[in-house]
Amino acid sequence: MSLLKPFSKLPGLNTANILLVENEEQFQQKLADTVVLQEKTVNVNVRLARSLPLPMENEESRPRIDLVVFIIHLTSELSFQSAETSLKYLDPGYFQGKVCFLVTNARNVSVPPERLVSVRKLAASLHCPLLCAEDQTTEGVTTAAHRLLAILKVAAGLVPMATGLYLSTLTRCTVPSDIDQQNFE
Amino acid sequence: MEERNSTEETPRNNALAQRRSKSYRQSMRSCVEATHLAYTSGLLTALRIPRSRKAPKSCDITKQVDPDQVALLVKKEWQLSYVTPLYQFRHTQLKSYSKQLSAFIVSEKQQGLAIEVGQELGFKVNFSVVLGLAETDKDAETVFIQILSKQAFSAKDDAQKVVWSGWLTCVNGDLDYLRSLPLEFVSLPLFCTRGPESLTVLVKSWFEKTFDCCFGPLGINSTNLQWLASLWTGCHPTINIQYLKLVWTLPTLPPMDVTYTVHPQDAWELWDSMRQVDTTEDSISIDEVTGFIKGLQSHFFRHFRIDLSAGSLMQISTALGSSHHSGKIKIASPNYIPTILQLLTECALLKMPI
Repeated sequence: MSLLKPFSKLPGLNTANILLVENEEQFQQKLADTVVLQEKTVNVNVRLARSLPLPMENEESRPRIDLVVFIIHLTSELSFQSAETSLKYLDPGYFQGKVCFLVTNARNVSVPPERLVSVRKLAASLHCPLLCAEDQTTEGVTTAAHRLLAILKVAAGLVPMATGLYLSTLTRCTVPSDIDQQNFE
Repeated sequence: MEERNSTEETPRNNALAQRRSKSYRQSMRSCVEATHLAYTSGLLTALRIPRSRKAPKSCDITKQVDPDQVALLVKKEWQLSYVTPLYQFRHTQLKSYSKQLSAFIVSEKQQGLAIEVGQELGFKVNFSVVLGLAETDKDAETVFIQILSKQAFSAKDDAQKVVWSGWLTCVNGDLDYLRSLPLEFVSLPLFCTRGPESLTVLVKSWFEKTFDCCFGPLGINSTNLQWLASLWTGCHPTINIQYLKLVWTLPTLPPMDVTYTVHPQDAWELWDSMRQVDTTEDSISIDEVTGFIKGLQSHFFRHFRIDLSAGSLMQISTALGSSHHSGKIKIASPNYIPTILQLLTECALLKMPI
């Protein structure tokens, strides 16, 4: 099994690499452009993927990935399932502050609320932060890029006195206990 | 690092971490449209998204409800909305409400002319009670509203025809929630309408002015459409559903609509195989429903290589009724009315902003 390993390569100087994984391949392009434009002080490389595992051919030339972001569109069930299956190809070392879930359409009326609950439970069980983003307007994309950059810089070790593990204990998703009471009878 | 350790141990940091998660939760709630109440932590107004339901039993509703009134409800397509609890709504004052509503409609239609309540007006409104639909003690009785009007160019003695009808109902609403309401409020969360949009808007604004309530659109999301599909398929042995039709919309460019019609016997066999071994049990769980739909989707994928879970379920219909994502429902058979209305009442209660 070709796991993506967090520490198997050397980091670059003043560089941060982020991997955006999205089944539909729509939002990741806009987000990538915005992330690269926003950050001026650090070299940010954005890699895009549809799902994990990543192709073996690029294994040598691929730099060390500092943050893996799973983009889940709540309007389709397939998006969530593809993210779940991709999680298996990540080395457990990533779940200490180097994985983030980004969810779109959380406010959409047509989305059944159970889907957001299951994404929250997944993020909470993996101790990862869950961000909600709005992908249709430029402000939404800019805000999402800004938040991802904040997490990325910590995960890449570019922020003094903060590590990814420390930040994840503060930002990780929590599920309130009454969400579990589902029995109607 | 030393001082970092000590700050982590003091309770102040604990409270900070807790407050952080609570404010995250609250900001999540304000982001969630129309406040899905499942996230509220209050004991009195918490509602739950049900994970299991009772299997629908065919009941002869004409034993409980007047058959003429049942005929008013079935075989018509209704547009759904939710209503917040009505303040000081009295079932005994329906006649005065009829007069007030008809005066309101006429005055709105003829802006600028003073209208006296009680005159002979072009619009006549009928409020009536449909007894027998309420399931528990806490459910308020269903109120049925009809607006009659003379058609244009009709002869002088022609009877007035029904141009708009609507009904407010609450069937098996969540007991904790209904008990927690103050006494002056009557909860009839489901509002079904049929007729011109202009009259619907007038009726809603009259209700909002008179009873201090809020109306809002009620959509039926894909999970509830799946529930309806499974409940109706489960009725196949007793009453032939004749077909099971599902319509999906896929987010391709241009958007593709897929209509998937299943032979009723095949649908029934698939549903039966999904039901857990203990079929003597009355309740159906959400896992069986999702398994049923997944079975249909994987069959489609095997033949057409299109994964329907990438799209969204828009409409389902059987001979027993049909339901659309935008909040339209049509019940064709009177036998299963309580089950369907219970599901819709739950949707309305969950959608309500509180």
